[in-house]
Amino acid sequence: YPLFQLGGPQLRIFRPNFFMLAVRPGVPQPEDTVQFRVSMEMTKVDIKNYLEKIYNVPVAAVRTRIQYGANNKRNHKNQRVKKPDYKVAYVQLGQGQTFQFPNLFPDKEQDTETRSFDDFRNKYMEREKQRQKGDPRRGGVPDWFGL
Amino acid sequence: MAASVAMAALCRRLTAALRVSGARPGSTAAGLPGLTLNLFHKNLGKVEPLHQLKFLHTTLSRRGLEEFFDDPRNWGEKTVKSGDAWNIKQLRGKSSEDLHKLWYVLLKEKNMLLTLEQESKRQLRPMPSPERLEKVEKSMKNIDLVVREREIALRLLQTGHEKPVPGEWRHDFLGRTYWYTYKEWPIPWYLNKKYKKRKFYYLPHVNHFIRLRLEKSLCRRARRQNLEKTRQKVLKRKFPHLAVKSQSQ
Repeated sequence: YPLFQLGGPQLRIFRPNFFMLAVRPGVPQPEDTVQFRVSMEMTKVDIKNYLEKIYNVPVAAVRTRIQYGANNKRNHKNQRVKKPDYKVAYVQLGQGQTFQFPNLFPDKEQDTETRSFDDFRNKYMEREKQRQKGDPRRGGVPDWFGL
Repeated sequence: MAASVAMAALCRRLTAALRVSGARPGSTAAGLPGLTLNLFHKNLGKVEPLHQLKFLHTTLSRRGLEEFFDDPRNWGEKTVKSGDAWNIKQLRGKSSEDLHKLWYVLLKEKNMLLTLEQESKRQLRPMPSPERLEKVEKSMKNIDLVVREREIALRLLQTGHEKPVPGEWRHDFLGRTYWYTYKEWPIPWYLNKKYKKRKFYYLPHVNHFIRLRLEKSLCRRARRQNLEKTRQKVLKRKFPHLAVKSQSQ
């Protein structure tokens, strides 16, 4: 982006390539606060303008923090694998709006195909467990012992 | 602001059309059913005539944060149907305004898909139809390419330059040649102590290494091409009936 010096024009970006995703807050947040993961280069002003212009959402306040992604997992070559860093934005909505993160995976009624597959799977697991157990006539002892 | 409001209204309608593939055009609000069709219903055979573009219905989109989530009817589904990605050829036929609106539609769709992905990771469930993400990314890349092409063409006609920022070819002290674009600095280069220590020429003893580098790149290229040829030969041997017929006859 062009360098800004005092008296210069404001930077305007057409076709922004920044993505914001709404996340479910791990810690319970107040009613009007929405939690987002944003690109590392976005500022509070950027996020406010983004939401107001593109999503038409009234924003009262934005607070951001950078979440450090851990670097202590190791792969099969014993090299450290880094989890990516990301910026978290806590946006407070204006005009008294509230937001609850919805449940995106509600239980839906299964059709006959999935139901029959689930039945088949349960029966198979039961049969496997029965085979694992020993003979009930010998008191549940495995067949390894004795004759 | 009016432009962004109009854009948001259009975006809402277009997003609705995109999400439920095969959406009926009558479901969109009064305004541009023809335009919506022309932009999205490529998979369907029917093509309706383009209506007047003058009457733009500008209602404010009342679904603000709901646009981060899919249609509630799709929550909990195993798969969600979606159309193909946008082709470059299809995009070249669109006007710049349409491309601009499409960009924002795709941006919102991508935000929605990323939210869904994160939530599915959180809930330890499989994400329904993750291929939608790749399609959206491909479409956005294609739009970028098309807009860049148009910008370059316009710039060539107006100024005669191809690139937006001027530059020059430079050598570094290892003998490599690269295209350097001029950057904006707060101070000139002769006041920059670190920059003055850099050398933009190479001494004659580096020519040997340039030759070695060239040989290495040529070797790699030859190896790659030979590998490709042997692979094709193996395939031809295994599947003779699928071989491409040569045009010698």
